[in-house]
Amino acid sequence: MQGKIFFGCRVSLVSCFRAQSRCHNRSDRATFHWAASLTAPNKNLCRLVHETMTGANCVTHWQRIFEQNGISEPQYSSEHIISHVLGGKTIHSLAEKALTRPLTVEQKQMIWNLCSKRLQHVPVQYVIEEWDFRDLTLKIKPPVFIPRPETEELVSLVLSELAEEEDVLFSVGKTRWQNSQQAAHPLFLEIGCGSGAIVLSLLHFFKQSRAVAVDKSPEAVELTRQNAERLCVQHRLQELQLDVLSDSQKLTRICGLVDVIVSNPPYLFHEDMSGLMPEILKHEDHDALDGGADGLDVIKAILQLAPTVLKDHGKVFLEVDPRHPEMIQNWLQERASLRLTYRATHWDICGKDQQFLHKQGEAQRKLVTADQLDQPEAELRVRRPREEDCLISVKMLHKLQRQAESN
Amino acid sequence: MKRGLDWFIVNIARRQSYLGRTCSRFCRLRLARRPTARLWSSCLSGNVPNAIYRQQSERHCHNYFGELLRLEAVRKYIEDLKEEYKGISNRLSSIQPHEEDGKSLSRRHVELAPLASLLEELQSSEKDLFELESMCNSLKARDDRELIPLVLEEQQQLSKIIAVLQGKLLQTLVQKEEHDDSNVILEVTAGRTTGGDICQQFTREVFDMYERYAHFKDWNFEVLNYTPADYGGLHHASACISGDCVYRFLKYEGGTHRVQRIPAVGLSSRMQRIHTGTMTVIVLPQIDETDIKVDLNDLRIDTFRAKGAGGQHVNTTDSAVRIVHIPTSLTIECQQHRSQLENRKLAIRILKAKLYKQAAEKDLEQRQSTRKLQVGTRAQSERIRTYNFTQDRVTDHRINYILRDIKELLCGGKQLDGLINKLLESAEKEAILELIETCNKGTTEGN
Repeated sequence: MQGKIFFGCRVSLVSCFRAQSRCHNRSDRATFHWAASLTAPNKNLCRLVHETMTGANCVTHWQRIFEQNGISEPQYSSEHIISHVLGGKTIHSLAEKALTRPLTVEQKQMIWNLCSKRLQHVPVQYVIEEWDFRDLTLKIKPPVFIPRPETEELVSLVLSELAEEEDVLFSVGKTRWQNSQQAAHPLFLEIGCGSGAIVLSLLHFFKQSRAVAVDKSPEAVELTRQNAERLCVQHRLQELQLDVLSDSQKLTRICGLVDVIVSNPPYLFHEDMSGLMPEILKHEDHDALDGGADGLDVIKAILQLAPTVLKDHGKVFLEVDPRHPEMIQNWLQERASLRLTYRATHWDICGKDQQFLHKQGEAQRKLVTADQLDQPEAELRVRRPREEDCLISVKMLHKLQRQAESN
Repeated sequence: MKRGLDWFIVNIARRQSYLGRTCSRFCRLRLARRPTARLWSSCLSGNVPNAIYRQQSERHCHNYFGELLRLEAVRKYIEDLKEEYKGISNRLSSIQPHEEDGKSLSRRHVELAPLASLLEELQSSEKDLFELESMCNSLKARDDRELIPLVLEEQQQLSKIIAVLQGKLLQTLVQKEEHDDSNVILEVTAGRTTGGDICQQFTREVFDMYERYAHFKDWNFEVLNYTPADYGGLHHASACISGDCVYRFLKYEGGTHRVQRIPAVGLSSRMQRIHTGTMTVIVLPQIDETDIKVDLNDLRIDTFRAKGAGGQHVNTTDSAVRIVHIPTSLTIECQQHRSQLENRKLAIRILKAKLYKQAAEKDLEQRQSTRKLQVGTRAQSERIRTYNFTQDRVTDHRINYILRDIKELLCGGKQLDGLINKLLESAEKEAILELIETCNKGTTEGN
C-alpha cells in the first residue's frame, strides 16, 4: 500500500508500510500508514495522521526501522528510548499496562524525535541523555565520553583493594575496614573524569572521602559538576580543567598529596581509531579515546605524575588496552626513578580484552637504585581464559618487594 | 448437608463421567466441615486413648490438647526445654555478651523465652484451679449455697483460660520453619495445554493476584522478570516480594495450579469446550548473601562481549548477563537494569536463592514425612489447586477446601488471605501431630 505525506517539508517517498497492533483480541485494531523519507540523513522524518499506538507497538516498529537502516543493537536501542519516554529505565521495569496504554501526542512526538536521532548513529546514551553506572544514574551529554561496562569493574577493583574485600566479582556492600586512617576516607584523584562515573562511584561508596577530578575538556568538567550536584557529593569534589600532558605541575600544586590515582585514560592505538563504529567516531570526543601511536601517551603522563602527587604506599589504578601491561612493565623497569612497582594485572570479566593495571607507589624517602631490588618472590600464576567461555581470572602476576633504605 | 446434596445431583446431571470423582469429593466436603478432631483422628496412628475420638467440638479439642500435654513424652520434652532455658539464662548472665557463643545462646534464649513465660502462666493457672477446687470441696463440706456457684463459675473461666494457654504452648513447641521471616522470590510459569492460551492468560491473572495480595498485606512487590506471550497473556514472570514474614504466608502457594476454562480464542472458544491447563508457581525464600557461598570458579558468566573487543573500542547498551553455575547447570539470565554490574549482582542473588532451594529440597526428600502439606519436591509436581471458571469454584486439594467466587479470589484480598490462613492452620496442626509422634518415638526408643 502506498500513501503520501504532507507535513510542511519536501519529502520523497522511499517505502511505505503498514503495521498492525499486537493485541488482536483487543478492541483497538489499530493500523496506520506511515511513510519515511530516508534519502538524506538530515531530512526529518514525517508522519501521517495515525490512530492509537502503544508503547509495545512502537518498540517493534522502531526496531524494524533500525534493523533496516543498519543501526547497531536495534532492539535494545528501541527499547531503551521508548521506556525512557514512558518513564522507566528498562522495558522490563514498566508494567504491562504502561506498555499497552495508547501513547499521548507528546509522547509520540518525543519518541519520534529521539528515534530519528538514533537513526543518525547517535549513541543511545546521548539520545536519552542519561545512563546508569553501577548503582548511580548519570547525566550524559555529547561529546563527553560515555562510561563503559568494563569501567564498572575497575571501580569494583578499587573498592576491593581499599576495603580488603575478597571477591572482586561480587563487590558486596559489606566490608571490613582497615584500621588505618587512610582506608577510612582515602583521597582520590581521577584523571580524565569524563562524566564523572568513576570518581562519583567512589565518593558514593566512601561517604567521607574527598576527591579531585581532572579533565582536558571543559564540557566534561561541567558535566562532572552537574552529576556531582545530582548525587549531592559536590562539596567533596573539586573539578579542574587541565591537560595532564602539559599542565602536570599545575595539577601537583593544586592537588596536594592523594592516596589513590584512578583513571580510564584514552588508550586506543591511533591506528585503531578509524575502525571504530560510527556511534563512537562521529559523536564521542576523540581526545577521550586516542592514546597516541602506542596508546600510552596519557598513561605515561599519569605514571610520570604519580610520584609527585601520590602519598607513600599510594596506589594507581588504570584501565588499559590488552596489549599494554607488558609494555608498561617494561617502561616502568626502565624508569626506576619513578619508584612505582607494578603490582598486578586484573583481567576483566570476559578474561580477554580489558586489563586493569594496579601499581603501588613506594616510600619517597630515598632513591633506590636497581641493584637493591629484591627478586620477585611469588611464583607466576597465570590462567589462560578458554576461547569459548568467559571466565573470570583475577590473579596477581608477581609481587616485587623493595627494601627502603634506612637512615 | 442440603447444599451438598443439591450440588451432588447437579453434578450428576452435568457430567456423568466424573461420577466417581464427584462422589468422593462430596464425601470429602462433608468431612471438611468438621476439620478439627475428625481430621486428626483419621491420620493419627492410635497413640492416644480412644476416648478422644468420640468428641467432635472445639471444646473437646482443647481437652485433646490437655490430654496431649499430660502425655509422658510431651511433658518430658517440655521439661527438657525448661531446663535448657534455665541453663542458658545462667550462662548468659555469667559470660560476656559479645562472644560468638553468646550470640547463639542469646538467640536460643529469645526463642525459648515465650515458651517459658507460657509455661509459667499455665502453671500458675493450674495452681489457681487446684486451689479453687479445694475451696469448692471445703465449701461443699460446709454446705454454703451462695459461694458455690461463684466458685464454679470461676472454675469454668479458669479452665477455659488454661485450655487456650495449652493451645498456645503446643504451637510454640512446634519448631518455626527456618525461613518464615525472609523475603521471597516468586516465579510463575505457564504450562502447556491444547486449549489455546488459557495457561498464559491464567498465569497473568495469577501474577496480578499475587501483586494485589502483596499490596493488601503491605509488602513490597518488585518485578524482576516479565515475559509476556501473545494475545496479552504471560509466559513467565518473577518478582521479589519483601516485607514481614512473606515466606510464611506464600510458601503454600508453590506448586502446580490447574485451570479449567473455555479459551477465549481459537476453535475451542467457538465450540465452548472446556480445556484444562496448568501453571506453576515457585516460591523461593531469599536468603542473606552470607548464608550461601558461591565459588566464582564454578560460574560461567556470559555478557554481550563474548567475543571481540570491548572497553573504549565499543559502545553498547546491552547489559544482559547470563550466569551458568557449572556444577548444577543452573542458568540465570538477567537484564533488569541498565548497568551490567547491577544485573550481575541480581543474577547472583537469584542463583543463591535457587541453590538454597535445591539444598532444602534435598533435605526434605530425605526426611521421612507422610504429611500432606509439603513445601518442596512433591508439591511442585502435584497439582495443589484447581480453578474452575465455568463452575466458578476453586478447590485446594491439600486441605480439600472449596471456595466460590473466583473473581473475588483473583482480586487477591481477603478471600485469598482466608484461604492462606486455613492452609497455615492445617499445617500447624500437622506439625503438632508430627511433634507428638517424634516425642512418642523418643519415649519408645528410650524404653
